[in-house]
Amino acid sequence: MLDVYINGFGAFFPGPPVGNDAMEDHLGRIGGKPSRYRPLVLRNNKITNRHYALDANGVAQHSNASMAAAAIATAVASSELVLGDVTYLATATTLGDLLLPGLASHVHAELKLGPIEIASFQSVCTSSLMALKSAYAQVRIGEHRAAAVSGSEFASRYFRPGFYEHVVNGNGNGAPPEAPFDAEFLRFTLSDGAGAVVLEAAPNARHLSLRIRWIDIRSFADRFAPSMLAGGAHDGDRLRFWGDYGDPVEAVRAGALMLTQDIALMRSMIPVWVSHFVELVERGRIVIDEIDHVCCHYSSQSLRDETVKLLAAAGALIPQEKWFSNLTTRGNVGAASIFVLLEELTRVRKLEKGQQILCNVPESGRALNGLMLLEVA
Amino acid sequence: MNGTVTSPAMQSVMRRLLMVWAEFESALETVPLIDKLRRGRFRLDDYRMLLLNHRQQVIEGSRWIARAASSITNEFAEQRSTFLKHAVTEHRDYAMLEADFVSVGGDHAQILAYEKNVGTEALHGFMFQRASEPNPFDLLGAMFVIEGVGSKKAAAWGSLIRDQLRLEDRQVSFLLYHGAHDAGHLAEFEATLGSGILELPGMGDRIVKTSAVVARLYRLQLEEMTRA
Repeated sequence: MLDVYINGFGAFFPGPPVGNDAMEDHLGRIGGKPSRYRPLVLRNNKITNRHYALDANGVAQHSNASMAAAAIATAVASSELVLGDVTYLATATTLGDLLLPGLASHVHAELKLGPIEIASFQSVCTSSLMALKSAYAQVRIGEHRAAAVSGSEFASRYFRPGFYEHVVNGNGNGAPPEAPFDAEFLRFTLSDGAGAVVLEAAPNARHLSLRIRWIDIRSFADRFAPSMLAGGAHDGDRLRFWGDYGDPVEAVRAGALMLTQDIALMRSMIPVWVSHFVELVERGRIVIDEIDHVCCHYSSQSLRDETVKLLAAAGALIPQEKWFSNLTTRGNVGAASIFVLLEELTRVRKLEKGQQILCNVPESGRALNGLMLLEVA
Repeated sequence: MNGTVTSPAMQSVMRRLLMVWAEFESALETVPLIDKLRRGRFRLDDYRMLLLNHRQQVIEGSRWIARAASSITNEFAEQRSTFLKHAVTEHRDYAMLEADFVSVGGDHAQILAYEKNVGTEALHGFMFQRASEPNPFDLLGAMFVIEGVGSKKAAAWGSLIRDQLRLEDRQVSFLLYHGAHDAGHLAEFEATLGSGILELPGMGDRIVKTSAVVARLYRLQLEEMTRA
């Protein structure tokens, strides 16, 4: 089997950065009132800037597919390839522009490439590593010589007031409710953008390359209920799927199209995420002292603090000065996060041959964790 | 923090215990009684059933710690004192639990006479077997799991039960008390782990194995609570 290298890095952020004071005006106020949860959410996640693909009037300036294509074009330009070399495209996103067909088709079309093989991955943050692993495997077995992988998100379109105001509140009187905390949490956490990488079976001749040592993804859905939810609503004990309502309007009124997060459930997933990491330490796949840089995606600083506490107790904490993050300035861009982290890391930090970069992408959707080890070639 | 976790052997034990814990804690979500609690479907009967079954666990707990202490040889006299002190601090807990039971309409005579369930039998059969071996420090692995339930789960369960059943704090005092008081045990645990016992041949592996057995049997004990 062939060694596989990341040979190009790309990021695309729509529009200018939007600061904390401007974000709610940008998205719009639910029921015309300022959110009472916004300060709390921002205090926990410590994000200070993010980007939106909507302009200040709520009009989309990009699509999910066009942002992914822009990030791929940048990634290719940063490599020693040309776009036409790419014969495999894998995309990752939480919610594409359309319910169907899959996002990869639209990204392919945006790129105006000839006929190629594609794969669409849809989950939440860890879909990025699913897509990357598929491309890694394709190149590794020699099926494709060059592959492009994107992670892209256009979350803000679902955060506009109209997506909450039609939900009928608990009193059944039809008055527009205040969005519940589990919806507001994501509203002030997620934002838009795209990241991409290109892979080949040989390193760049003159530019930086990162060799993929391994990618290890683990699902714990056998024991956790969904913590993030869109497309369904709790109906008593069970989940009712949006398609199971009498019509789409009824589904909207029941809140089945709101994006929500059960925070307590998410917190209870931290030990299994940490355990996945620790297991790889025990198996010798990760040697703590040999890691030079850590790119860990996390949705808020407070979750990072909890994770660090657990790692320290297990004697498995990689010193925090080795951690690299751009969460506060770029926002939480879900499936794009790991790619925009790597893009910035390779620009900002001086990487030396042989150094190891550990990447971690947990997904609270339904308890998933992805780990990846890269080596500077 | 945790300046006591220093040697590579100790770090490895702590990492593997964390893996056992994560597997145990997350699998608890699928236990019918806990699932019911999480879904907001808990009944007063369920709470009484939990206390009825749990009393045996508490009583047996201080007994096996005392047994283990008596199996510790003289070269580990220091550690033996720690085990003994531990048995003393736990041994009155059942009174608190019984008071909770009576306060929610339970019959005191019933809880005194209640039979151990299948999981509790298996758990304590195993514990006493281990505690009777010379220098049974592998029971630290058992304590890690059982005290983990106390410090990480009990208070959360206690407040969920209190809120769902509209009870007062004093009626869930056992669960709330443990959530508030077991945290200090972790430092004590690390101190004992770092006190030289890991130099006993194979002890690190044995601690992890015992913790995994106890985790599985503890879950069985909870699963059996809803099997009438």
